[in-house]
Amino acid sequence: MKIFRTRPGDDIISLALLLCALLFCLPSTVTAEPRKPDPDGCLTCHSLPGLHWIDEDGMWRVASIDKSHYFSSLHGSVPCRDCHRKITDYPHKVENGYVDCSESCHVEEPSEGEAYTHKPIVDEFEESTHGKGWHKDFAGGNRFKELDESKLPSCRRCHDNALYISENKTTLFKESFAHTETECGTCHVGEVWLTQMGGHILRRFLGNRMNKNDSNELCLDCHNTPEYLKDIELEDSETGEKHKPDTRWLHAAESYQRMLHSRLLVVGVEDGASCVDCHAPQGLHHKILRDEDEQASTHPDNLPDTCSASGCHGYAKIDENKDFVLTDMHDTDLLAMTLFSKEEFNNFTKSVWAILSALTVPIIIVLAIGSLIWAFTGKNRGLIMAILGGEHFQVYMAGKKPSAKKRAKSTTARTPSRKSDSKPIRKNTTDSAETKESDND
Amino acid sequence: MRVLNNLKAVPAMQKYRYFLITLSCIAFLGPLAFLPQLVGNDDLCGVLCMRRFYLYFPGMSWDDLLMHITVAWIGVIAFAVILITTFFFGRVWCGYLCPVGGLAELGSRMLNDRWKIEFRSLPQVQIRYGYFAAYMVLMPALGISACTLCNFITVPRLIEAMSGEYRGIVYILSTVGLVNLGLLFLLGFFASKGRAYCQFLCPIGAADGLVNKLGSRFRWARRIRVEKERCTGCNICARNCMCGAIKMVNRVPVVSQTSCMSCHECVDVCAWNAIEWTTGPRDKKPKKIKKGVEIFPEPAWQLLSEEEMLGNPLNGAAVARIRVGRLVNGLIFSSVIAYIAYYSILKLAG
Repeated sequence: MKIFRTRPGDDIISLALLLCALLFCLPSTVTAEPRKPDPDGCLTCHSLPGLHWIDEDGMWRVASIDKSHYFSSLHGSVPCRDCHRKITDYPHKVENGYVDCSESCHVEEPSEGEAYTHKPIVDEFEESTHGKGWHKDFAGGNRFKELDESKLPSCRRCHDNALYISENKTTLFKESFAHTETECGTCHVGEVWLTQMGGHILRRFLGNRMNKNDSNELCLDCHNTPEYLKDIELEDSETGEKHKPDTRWLHAAESYQRMLHSRLLVVGVEDGASCVDCHAPQGLHHKILRDEDEQASTHPDNLPDTCSASGCHGYAKIDENKDFVLTDMHDTDLLAMTLFSKEEFNNFTKSVWAILSALTVPIIIVLAIGSLIWAFTGKNRGLIMAILGGEHFQVYMAGKKPSAKKRAKSTTARTPSRKSDSKPIRKNTTDSAETKESDND
Repeated sequence: MRVLNNLKAVPAMQKYRYFLITLSCIAFLGPLAFLPQLVGNDDLCGVLCMRRFYLYFPGMSWDDLLMHITVAWIGVIAFAVILITTFFFGRVWCGYLCPVGGLAELGSRMLNDRWKIEFRSLPQVQIRYGYFAAYMVLMPALGISACTLCNFITVPRLIEAMSGEYRGIVYILSTVGLVNLGLLFLLGFFASKGRAYCQFLCPIGAADGLVNKLGSRFRWARRIRVEKERCTGCNICARNCMCGAIKMVNRVPVVSQTSCMSCHECVDVCAWNAIEWTTGPRDKKPKKIKKGVEIFPEPAWQLLSEEEMLGNPLNGAAVARIRVGRLVNGLIFSSVIAYIAYYSILKLAG
């Protein structure tokens, strides 16, 4: 056995190494000062249970805020007065509590050192078809007023101040940020970062906080309820005239759900396309415009770019596929005809599909009635031929001679030319009298 | 009583086949959709789709194809398994398992043959591959969804509608649903033997038929083969063939290997044992023969072609003739290949 001998110098080196290792074990002194989640003391009153009042409509309102719930919410690290700005004193008026989502708040972007604001999103939102929806004057008191006044979505209709990240949605998040502890954690140290800022910043990484199904959920919440949508008046982009929505628009969510784009997402294949993937693929995903708008990503001119976006139909940009990108993604042909209005139904009856089904139905009925009668009265003896094309089958496939009558009728072009070379057929064991008639080749 | 007698008259092998089809209908279709639900799908679309991933779009790159494959990966695997079994054993998926074609067939067999449309004598290869080419190249380029004429959605929805499920009823009431239902009736229930959709419109069947034809070049592949010497030309096989794959040429059945589904019915009905689902002849002759023992030649199970049977025996050579069917097939295929090559080269150059 070989024995390692230690030299005198070795002891000092190993001692120094040990000391170094111990240094790393000491509590880190670079932790940031914990941010007070409620510097203005709003929660002194608002966290009290039973803080209720009755508003002018006689509605019973709750002003209590669950502290732990709020702190763990998305805006948990933002002080109340960053948004509720006009409140300086208490008791305060309800109107003073109004919130404008485009204001900046005191949470600083660590990378830029600027106050964070939702303004770019609000700007983009204002340009979209939803643009007339609320983005300011929010208060707890006018939640119902907002719902009554406008059917357009406001910021808060889709974005509730949700919990940091709900447990069932953390899988994607954890995957994407498996390295947080080691990579981000080397600079952004301390409790505050991880519990408050970390949560806020990480949630903002696009595509990581919501998968396609989650974002669809927001759209489908309204767009999948035709009863809710049917009172909306759509504005014609050119004339500005207002009109009632048609079936195609009302049931767009339903027709979408029948197409592959949605079906893939439903079974968990991420290659499907969500609403936003086509309707607002650029920027901050809020600029949803109607197809007629030239700026819309779904405008025929822009479709090649939209469809060929990363990982989707890369070939869509090629000129020869210009018809492919026009494939109807909200095909009304997939909707039950009972949904059509009278006018739409009349228009539909002129379509190719309608003519096709009108043609097939009588044939089916005749065949069905025929076979029903035959089932009870018909004789099942001998050779049974199909009424349509049965004769042709006997001649062409089973190799029987065409009957004399038939041959006299048909011109030279119609007679099967191949048969003329073949040997004459003399005997057919199971064939009926027709064979005997035609024995003169 | 007549029904019972008719049922009893069904050959044992065919009873077994009907049983398998019924089982697969229960497993694949309708309210249970037992097998698709194992992978979280409730019908044969989406990840299970076997019909969409090979669509050709001009200028398509390999990445795009890979994307198509990853989207429907289960369907791609199923499709590959189908093609591989076809290569060795003939189109067993189509004939024995396919719940969609099978349901139409069983439905059709329950009805009397008189009140039906006979599609089997139409030029199958031309129609099938003509439509297949249009399906693969023309329809996607024109922006027609490949799903519009797909009976893999119609049949499950029909079963759903019959079981009272909302989604099935909605589909049957829609325009596309009605047209597809019409197809199911006209090319299924009211088609002679009920396999007209399989023979003309099914893209899986079309690809499967090509592999079947390819595999038939090998002696060890099991196919429906004919022993010419035994055949009396009674044409019962041709009349019973549900695919219209058998054509009597010079009073001998010629089996079209692009259409044949190896359903075995011709074997069951042949009284002369002249047709068989088997491998090719071994062609083995003993070098020496024991005295007093008579060696009979083994049956020569042949895959006959129409040309062979039509060859003029007087000239001693095959007669040169223009085969219209082949010409049409050739034109279809060469134009599709030229189209694909042209745009692929354009893509590579640009």
